[in-house]
Amino acid sequence: MGPTRRARQARRLPLWRRARRVLLLACCICLIPAGVSFVGAMGQARNVGLGVSSVEWLRQHGGNPIVSQIENWYYTLSAPEKGGPALRSLPRVGVTAAGGNGQSEIKAGYRPANVVPLIHPALPGEGVWKKAAANAGPRPPVLLTTFRSDPEYPQFVAGVAWIDSARTELAYVPGLAEPPPPLAHRGPAEVPHSMRKRVVATFNGGFPLETSNAGLIYRGKVVEAMVNGVATVVEYRDGRVDIVKWESGAGAPKNVWSAKQNLPPIIDEGRLNPNLSDGPAWGETVNNAVRVWRSGIGIDSRGNLLYAAANYQTVESLAKVLQRAGAVRALELDINEDWTSFISYRHPGALEPGNLLPEMLRPPERYLTPDERDFFAVYLRPKEKW
Amino acid sequence: MRLPRDISPAAAARRSLLADFLAALVLALLAITLAAGIGVVGFAAILILLVLLLWLGIEATLRWSLGRRVRQREAHLR
Repeated sequence: MGPTRRARQARRLPLWRRARRVLLLACCICLIPAGVSFVGAMGQARNVGLGVSSVEWLRQHGGNPIVSQIENWYYTLSAPEKGGPALRSLPRVGVTAAGGNGQSEIKAGYRPANVVPLIHPALPGEGVWKKAAANAGPRPPVLLTTFRSDPEYPQFVAGVAWIDSARTELAYVPGLAEPPPPLAHRGPAEVPHSMRKRVVATFNGGFPLETSNAGLIYRGKVVEAMVNGVATVVEYRDGRVDIVKWESGAGAPKNVWSAKQNLPPIIDEGRLNPNLSDGPAWGETVNNAVRVWRSGIGIDSRGNLLYAAANYQTVESLAKVLQRAGAVRALELDINEDWTSFISYRHPGALEPGNLLPEMLRPPERYLTPDERDFFAVYLRPKEKW
Repeated sequence: MRLPRDISPAAAARRSLLADFLAALVLALLAITLAAGIGVVGFAAILILLVLLLWLGIEATLRWSLGRRVRQREAHLR
């Protein structure tokens, strides 16, 4: 063996060091396309923080199972303990003083019965409907209430909104990134300025299409194939709204203007879904039994909408909140504090927006600027007045 | 065509680096092709990179620390 070869062999790296170097280089190479995609996504218009946007980017690029698993671990570790000191008051919702004296005025037309409190003694105003807007007249289009939703967790407060379907119409509004592009007629991803004089409430949509195993019809066209058996918020071309278990196939029926599906129904024909436990039908998301911010939408026996949201809810406890408020059919909407919002507007022109619950993370102006996710807007019908 | 066998140590190091880079390229392309999305690849790459950098950092610190001790002992002996 010559001296040169000896010198070369003396300097040869051990195999494990070379393997480490290969791995290091491979990671650096992998980070180039990932970094380009990430930086491009972060450069787009958005109204959430960098952390949330990063998680969303990861979800949209194949990382949804990873995110869901991490969320499951986090929420399981930070799960609340049962019991605790009793609440002395509930958060103030709705309008009581402005524009009349509340209940006596509300009783002029049909109004839902107050929600019977679950925990006794009831707190002042618990389960009592209050109008969401000042000067809303004798038939307020949106009523709000709060009540403690779980005797084992007496500090949890659920917020519920009732929406008069006779006076209002519902509109599905696509967000900046959900449904994902391409989408014809995406719109401004906020409450359009031309509609602000009629907007009375806005609330979050369902899971992203990627995670909901469900379909979407927008402006009468199928964006994502509809799935039979999945709970669906349907807006018909004549303005009627319903919540149904979809059985009309993958296409768009002629009378449907928009339809947003999200998971199986949580209430159907007045009964809780007996399969509220986890399974593939519930999408790739946080486990149903994990306590987290959750929201849902239901419909009462008269066809009026009911929206509910609260922190530390399981799918089952959310379903019970909606059932207690009078829902006969219901579905779960989006979850997590970053996505759960119900906002009512106290005056025409989208003035004085207010969150249903004060702990809701997103600001009341959320849907007055372009938002990432799709949402629903509730407008007074054209002939109705504030 | 055969590669020259008797080359300088520096040339051998460069050749080994090139071979490793090509192997890394194949590995990266394989990962990008097989993974569910570029997000998963980026997430995994960052985690592995952090672990490897930590490993390299600890190794370098230990080597520097041991080297300093040896140098101190040698200086003491002189």
